[in-house]
Amino acid sequence: MPNPILIVILIFYLAFTAIGAQASLLLPKTIKVDRAALTAEPPCDPKISPAWREAQVIDGVKIEASPGCNPDNPAWIAAAVKGTNNVSMDTLMKTGLSPDTIIKTDDLDGDGDPDRIIIKLEVMELNGKSPDFPGILPTFDIAPGVQPGAWVFAPKTSGMSTENFESVRANPLLRLPAPVIRVEQGDIVQIILENTHYFPHSIHLHGVDHPFAHKDHGGNDGVPQTSEIELMPGERRVYEFQARQPGTMFYHCHVQTHTHLSMGLAGMIIVEENRPNNWLQTLNIGGGHVRHPSVAIKEKFDQEYDLHYHAMDKELGDIIKKYNDPRLIARDMNQRYDITDSTEDYYTINGLSFPYSLRESLIIVKPDQKIKLRLLNSGGETIAIHTHGHHATITHYDGVEHNPVAQIMRDVFDMAPAQRLDLTLDTTNDGKHSYGEGDWLIHDHREKGITTDGMAEGGSMSSIVYTSYLGEDGLPKTSHFGIDLSNFFTQEYWQRRVPIWQDLDEVASLGSPAGQAISMDITTQNYLLNALYGLAVGLLIYFIFTKREYFKQSAMGAISRVRGDKGSKQS
Amino acid sequence: MIKTIKIACLLSGILILCADATAQSAKSTEHDQHEQHQTHTDEHHDHSGHSMSQESGPASDHLHEHNKDHSTIDKTHEHAIDHSQHSDQSTEHGDLHHHHHMDHDHIMDHEGTMIMGQNLDKLPSSCKSISEEKEITVRAGRKYAAKFPGTMFAFDQQEWRVKPCSKVTFHFINEDQIRHQFMMHGLPKYLYKYGMFHLEVTGPKTVSGTIIVPGSDDTFLVHCDISHHMEKGMKAQLVVGKGGENIPSIPGLTPYNINDIYEAENLPMVSDKAEQSAVVRQITTAFTKSDTQNYLIILIGALVGLLSIPLIKKIMPSKKTEN
Ligand SMILES: [Cu+2]
Ligand SMILES: [Cu+2]
Repeated sequence: MPNPILIVILIFYLAFTAIGAQASLLLPKTIKVDRAALTAEPPCDPKISPAWREAQVIDGVKIEASPGCNPDNPAWIAAAVKGTNNVSMDTLMKTGLSPDTIIKTDDLDGDGDPDRIIIKLEVMELNGKSPDFPGILPTFDIAPGVQPGAWVFAPKTSGMSTENFESVRANPLLRLPAPVIRVEQGDIVQIILENTHYFPHSIHLHGVDHPFAHKDHGGNDGVPQTSEIELMPGERRVYEFQARQPGTMFYHCHVQTHTHLSMGLAGMIIVEENRPNNWLQTLNIGGGHVRHPSVAIKEKFDQEYDLHYHAMDKELGDIIKKYNDPRLIARDMNQRYDITDSTEDYYTINGLSFPYSLRESLIIVKPDQKIKLRLLNSGGETIAIHTHGHHATITHYDGVEHNPVAQIMRDVFDMAPAQRLDLTLDTTNDGKHSYGEGDWLIHDHREKGITTDGMAEGGSMSSIVYTSYLGEDGLPKTSHFGIDLSNFFTQEYWQRRVPIWQDLDEVASLGSPAGQAISMDITTQNYLLNALYGLAVGLLIYFIFTKREYFKQSAMGAISRVRGDKGSKQS
Repeated sequence: MIKTIKIACLLSGILILCADATAQSAKSTEHDQHEQHQTHTDEHHDHSGHSMSQESGPASDHLHEHNKDHSTIDKTHEHAIDHSQHSDQSTEHGDLHHHHHMDHDHIMDHEGTMIMGQNLDKLPSSCKSISEEKEITVRAGRKYAAKFPGTMFAFDQQEWRVKPCSKVTFHFINEDQIRHQFMMHGLPKYLYKYGMFHLEVTGPKTVSGTIIVPGSDDTFLVHCDISHHMEKGMKAQLVVGKGGENIPSIPGLTPYNINDIYEAENLPMVSDKAEQSAVVRQITTAFTKSDTQNYLIILIGALVGLLSIPLIKKIMPSKKTEN
């Protein structure tokens, strides 16, 4: 029997559909996102002491001033220069490094610096899934709230992988990118990989003069198809070399390179020219400003910066956020992930994207300086770095000096994957080298390079800032132009929840229009609808079932009428 | 908007149908309620390795605290780091003759072998005396993960039991060539800084440390805190007396709070050559495709609808009698 209430509901349904389609005379009003509703962060990491910016001497190691917002821990620099075996215990304890991370011994050529260098690297995961709680750890943000799944070569640490037991944030030594390694021409260097990760890995020393095989340690090229088998979890391998040529080089994992490199297992390695008393800063953790440059650099330059450009695919990094079981991660990465269908989503400079790049990777200059810039592109595509306000000179390609007479000046520097460029940035205001003082952007001119997962202004963007444009806090002074960068330091901005032009005028003419419905996200809506359809189907089956019983009864009645004898016999 | 109305209409329509159905079965109301019961899995978030909260408070850089008390060198700790190398374990490490002593709570040698939060003599307030002295050997390494599929690192045992107030010395043998930790959490903070006892060593090598456990029944988390070692299996618990609440996601001992989803794989097999198995596999694959998720949800809905069928069984006899 037809239910009258059902008919009424059908009418209502049609009526509401009609109302929904009808246009209103007044469009929805603008909703302005309240600043107080945003998860804002201070522009500079409050955990980093401003005292770290100052020029200082620790355990006899001279450390240059670094007026940026978040400079390197000076104790890291002292330990990297002296070696963790020579630095004072007091300083070592401020680093979080293991006492055997950097071992420097034996002045073999008698020129006043150690020539046997041992560097221990571990492999650490960032932003991976936990079986214990619905979150990831240890967390590392490349921008506020942006946490791509990543792996990294980290200097061997001591203690916990998080800041403390209550925190899921990674220990500051566990970060992107892999540390910049500096060794001297002629040093006997051992890079010891202690594979603390749950997957096999290796180290390939791209561009560094190294023997294909070593008499004691075997295969030395890091390639599982030619020189060695994969280094399994829990195992250790020594890569030994004595580089005859200086230059800016590259090291990376060569196991399943198409994923492991993009995941973050890539870093710069620099062979410095041999000089007397050349105590190098063996590790530049986090890259950027070199606060204890080599003797050769100090001869020619006022400052030195390591700029490591990298790119990551969100879908690849998401695999370690999706699974905990290493077998499933391996399956998705090795067999299901198809790099030929992939797109890069995150562009970083020294492991971070804008605005965090302002904290660590500003190139802070004064007029009439010569600055050495070392660039590496470890992303999967060619990049095009543009220096606003400056033409810099390319002095080296892939670690090899270009003919000095033929060296060229450019303002866009194209870099193929794995390519290195050494640039000389001259801040002489002559209209060619520099157009004068300012806060000049340095960015990848492929437009996606200034986005983070497609959201601008992000990516590997940073600045060449003259000290006259640098604020007290170490960030570029922008407020005198009415510029406010604080929205970039909120998680909601990167979640695409803040209309970026809402604050450009009083009325927020480009703010967000108010919605007309109770918002429910699309997946929930679909789930609900599907469940309801299912319920409807189930109830239909129930009614059919009920009717079938009636049919059965009438059919049984018919049968009993036709075959009356047989039916009575059986019962 | 329209979608919401649609949902509302569907929902109310179904409610009417349901009302119809219940009206029909009004005579036989109180039955089959027990079918609605579902097994409820408890979640022990409290004991997971890390708290969920991201807010970690102001700069509590614990490394700085190690420096404050250099002068107090405790000679009794000389024995703490095991000098005797296992002869069968090759090692590149040199001698261990010079120890770096930190403050009372933190001893470390030049290779990073570490003892933190050791307690040789301070009685917990819940204890009148030490109940027994016990030595426990803990081995750590990748090979111990072999018996737990889906893990990569593990301890040789996942649970140790001790009496309340016992003095326990742990001999932590790391059999891998990398760092591992034996880190215990939740100990009384008045005796153990951060409530922690922590042994750490790069293998193959041994480190030993001693604690006095509290006098009440409790269960303590033991893990390695190197990134994803705990998540990938290096997790265990120390049970004092009758113990407290179990720690989750200990391999072979307690379930994970959050499980991965496992699908049937299209793996080549010798039996592939037989035609039938291939067909079976195709069906399995079809069901595990994510596209079918929506249909599966419809099926679940249908099942819920069909749950009402037992009601009919009660209705039908009553109608029969009417007839
Ligand atoms: Cu790798
Ligand atoms: Cu471990």
